[in-house]
Amino acid sequence: MSDTSPRPVRVVVLGGGTAGWMTAAATAKLLPGLAEVHLVESEDIGIVGVGEATLPHIRGFVERLGIDEAAFMKATHATYKLGIDFRDFGSIGTSYIHPFGSFGEPVAGVGFHHYWLELERSGKAGPLDQYSFAVAAAKANRFAPPAMDGSLASSYGYAYQFDATLFGPFMRDFGLANGVTRTEGRVTEVERDSESGDVTALVLENGTRIEGDLFVDCSGFRALLLGDTLDEEWEDWTHWLPCDRAAAMPCAHVREEIEPYTTASAMPAGWRWRIPLQHRIGNGYVFASAFISEDEACEAIIGAAEGTQLADPRVLRFRPGRRSRSWSHNVIGVGLASGFLEPLESTSIYLAQMAITYLVELFPVGGKIDPRDRDEFNRLVDLEYDRVRDFLILHYNATTRDDSEFWDHVRTMEVPDSLAGKMELWREAGRVEKYSNGLFYDASWIAVYVGQGLLPERHDPRAAIPREDQMLAAFGKLRDTIASEVSQMPGHRDYLLRESARLADAP
Amino acid sequence: MSEPREPLRNIIVAGGGQLGVLTALALKRAVPMAQVTVVGTPPDPNALADRLGTALPFTNRLHDRLGVDEAVLVSEAGASHRLLMRTTGFTAGHEGFAAYGALPETKLRSRFAREWGGGSRSGSAQQTVGSLAEALVASGRFRPPGPGESTPLAEVDYALRWNVGAYRSLLIGRAQKMGVQYVEGEVASLEADADGTVSAIGLTGGQVLGAELFVDCSGTRGALVSRLPRLEWNDWSAYLPVRAVVLERPGRGVLALEDHAAMTEEGWVVGHAARDGHQRILGVRDSADPAQAADVLGGSAPVAVVPLSPGAMATPWQGNVVALGDAAARFEPLGFLNLDLAHRQLDLLLELLPGREVDARERGEFNRRAELMAEGVRDTLGLYYAALEAERVYGRLERSPALENLLDQYARRGRIPHSEEGALMNEEIVSLLAALGIEGGEIPVSRAEGAQGMHAAQGAFAAKVDAALAASPPYAEWLQSVLAPAPG
Ligand SMILES: Cc1cc2nc3c(=O)[nH]c(=O)nc-3n(C[C@H](O)[C@H](O)[C@H](O)COP(=O)(O)OP(=O)(O)OC[C@H]3O[C@@H](n4cnc5c(N)ncnc54)[C@H](O)[C@@H]3O)c2cc1C
Ligand SMILES: Cc1cc2nc3c(=O)[nH]c(=O)nc-3n(C[C@H](O)[C@H](O)[C@H](O)COP(=O)(O)OP(=O)(O)OC[C@H]3O[C@@H](n4cnc5c(N)ncnc54)[C@H](O)[C@@H]3O)c2cc1C
Repeated sequence: MSDTSPRPVRVVVLGGGTAGWMTAAATAKLLPGLAEVHLVESEDIGIVGVGEATLPHIRGFVERLGIDEAAFMKATHATYKLGIDFRDFGSIGTSYIHPFGSFGEPVAGVGFHHYWLELERSGKAGPLDQYSFAVAAAKANRFAPPAMDGSLASSYGYAYQFDATLFGPFMRDFGLANGVTRTEGRVTEVERDSESGDVTALVLENGTRIEGDLFVDCSGFRALLLGDTLDEEWEDWTHWLPCDRAAAMPCAHVREEIEPYTTASAMPAGWRWRIPLQHRIGNGYVFASAFISEDEACEAIIGAAEGTQLADPRVLRFRPGRRSRSWSHNVIGVGLASGFLEPLESTSIYLAQMAITYLVELFPVGGKIDPRDRDEFNRLVDLEYDRVRDFLILHYNATTRDDSEFWDHVRTMEVPDSLAGKMELWREAGRVEKYSNGLFYDASWIAVYVGQGLLPERHDPRAAIPREDQMLAAFGKLRDTIASEVSQMPGHRDYLLRESARLADAP
Repeated sequence: MSEPREPLRNIIVAGGGQLGVLTALALKRAVPMAQVTVVGTPPDPNALADRLGTALPFTNRLHDRLGVDEAVLVSEAGASHRLLMRTTGFTAGHEGFAAYGALPETKLRSRFAREWGGGSRSGSAQQTVGSLAEALVASGRFRPPGPGESTPLAEVDYALRWNVGAYRSLLIGRAQKMGVQYVEGEVASLEADADGTVSAIGLTGGQVLGAELFVDCSGTRGALVSRLPRLEWNDWSAYLPVRAVVLERPGRGVLALEDHAAMTEEGWVVGHAARDGHQRILGVRDSADPAQAADVLGGSAPVAVVPLSPGAMATPWQGNVVALGDAAARFEPLGFLNLDLAHRQLDLLLELLPGREVDARERGEFNRRAELMAEGVRDTLGLYYAALEAERVYGRLERSPALENLLDQYARRGRIPHSEEGALMNEEIVSLLAALGIEGGEIPVSRAEGAQGMHAAQGAFAAKVDAALAASPPYAEWLQSVLAPAPG
């Protein structure tokens, strides 16, 4: 054992929402001895309390911390999620599921969708959805954990839909059990070093001073440290993503079955989510205040949501964009304090998780921050945000809707160059720009392009080589295999019930 | 409504070396109705991708897909297996091993996790690959794992080396059977339309051959690309120090599971331990005289001195002409990256194969990724030159920001940043850096974990080594058994 053990870094996490407790839990658990974690939260201010749909990566987070999945699901009233059902986005009356999974398999090195496009010319292929195991299971309201053997049943993954007001507390209990110190109170003053400008302490309303070496700003939209204190520049993306409000409202279940997916339905000035949990359904209208008033939006969500309303709609306000630098001085922003992208693809918690992963990797052992690590962190965070941003913009821009001012705007707006290039490559050659870092690969882009009716003009010449009857036979076989394997899966509610001792309190 | 593009009808591959023939074979398989013609330009002695019969594990996957069976390469093309490269002297007094493959847990991820990017993308490699390979090499035991292999041999990845002539003949046989045409001749001219699209090539004998797609596999001369009106070349001479490569006359054949790279005062020496002959190669720096430098090879007469000016085409696909191999990128044969890069470029061309008409966006995507690939190779070579002895012998070289970042992150935090289209996997980079004697900093998480986790992992590993050794015959014995199968 080296005797030069560095002294633990005093990590102060400001904020006890989802981002704050995830950060505190992960740093305390993964960096024992290196980090001494202290979290400050204010019950008066409260948490944003939404954020119920996740991506499969969250499973890695839960597993990495050594948390039992069943206990976690039970405590957060979680359900399984196989993807998102998008309705009325490409045009009114159409829908598609963006699954956590792929469509078919490449044949002779050519992506499955090229063959599908080829058969589609004569209208013989049927919807692309039919060739995805995840979509078939979702539509049948069935669930079973995926296989790990390279078979069809391993061609999908899953995430969770959970109660956002229970997830934070679950992580809090875990964090406290792993040595996090918690202080309740409102931060009213931030002390900085007069020379370096680094933050040195937070001062609470009651006068308590909390000193630290590293501060993680998880104060939500307030961004008390990164914004108010350090005044880090904000890159505003409203011109591409005009939604800046949400009216959220929980309802009771109306159907027997619990859908193993989230629904996103386009609305005249935005879209609305529907997230089925074990005990209720989360609803919310994400809208652009430039096109509809808050009152109108609240009325709209009351009118649209099914099931008995469990509370009045609550309006949340936000700005799409991100800080130019999420790590500045000795302050790292995680969660809403660092940036916001609307929940259309359930990416916020993923973005917080990703920032935590990089923070752990780039942790300033001993307390001294190297500017190169700060730059590396910011480079990685920007890359993630920018890729998600482009993918979200696609959902709005790839449409033929002209039934409202909002849709006219997003349909005709100029998109970022990085997205324009991707869309052109798709349009002209049916190909997806390839990268291996960041979110959303081929299958996701194809799901949205095809699902929203943006078909390419040309596809791979090799797709026309096989004989049509042979292709049809192969396609039919894939459909049948998927259908028969899915029919063997238990229903989603049944699966939760069957495992209720482990998973569920009240499915 | 999406329309298929009209498939290619005529493709010309310039260059009939091992790369050109494999390219022709691959294109013919991809578009069987097309006429694929190899123009057998006289072999380019300076084309390193054509000259050296070895690559990296990627090539095994490509061969598989193209129906080039590993067993046949072993029985007919003199192939043998390399599990690792032993390195000596890149840091004074240091010897190490660079091995292949990912850690088992990365391999075992479900198909979804691989395709969707789920799971950890942590850049910190806590463990190095290849420790199993090291144990196998030390005992001289190995056999390639079979499909569905249940022993720890399944975790061992490897590269092949083969006899270039025999390999090429084998591929020619396949290509001929598939109907690939062959024309001998030297390219004398390109005929281009007003928009720059090449419609035909003229050979020195006067023969004119038309096609819609032209692939230049002719080596450093770039029989096709050198005739394009605009050829932008990225010069790497500030990044890479070797200006000549001395190839030794191959000695007696050997059977070995490792190859060797050593740093000497005259430059690095790489030993290829092939079944048909052991050959050493020396990388000579700028100021040195190749003939003198060759003394380091112990007086054996060099078979060739290949001059080298490192660099890569900025856009290896121009109009309807695509350059692969040495025609597209030139660099020293260190780390077996030459043919590996050529094969990855070929694979990229197969992925983005055009129709009769080339699409500009598609070409742009090829060039974007091909450039990343080439830079990845340059930066991988930069790792060798970052080792202290290499830096002393060759001098301090320029480094790209990505390489600088990697070396810095590794030195301070044991972390390898992700790179798109990189030549090696992160685990392989860690293995290479260790082999070169470049020390990595401690990863925060493993620092916090302390020694406990290590002990448990070591116990499990020892058991794995025993199982792998028990499952492997002596390599020579295995080879004997496949070359001369017992009757009955
Ligand atoms: C409408 C909407 C829908 C969403 N849906 C999804 C979704 O489906 N999936 C998804 O992944 N994400 C979603 N998100 C995002 C998700 O809700 C957030 O990423 C997540 O909740 C993290 O929030 P946070 O912890 O950063 O902020 P908050 O929950 O706002 O927490 C801020 C914390 O800081 C504390 N604090 C603030 N100021 C002070 C102070 N001065 N002194 C002391 N304490 C202070 C507060 O008390 C609180 O504890 C959605 C967001 C919105 C707005
Ligand atoms: C990919 C590839 C690479 C090759 N590389 C070499 C090489 O490096 N060196 C070498 O000697 N051979 C090379 N060959 C050619 C092959 O080895 C010869 O075809 C073989 O030596 C002679 O074969 P063959 O006569 O049995 O039959 P075939 O291949 O069936 O050819 C019939 C004969 O017709 C001739 N012929 C074909 N087209 C024409 C034409 N347009 N005008 C006039 N005559 C024509 C051929 O030269 C041949 O003699 C290559 C072939 C392929 C497919």
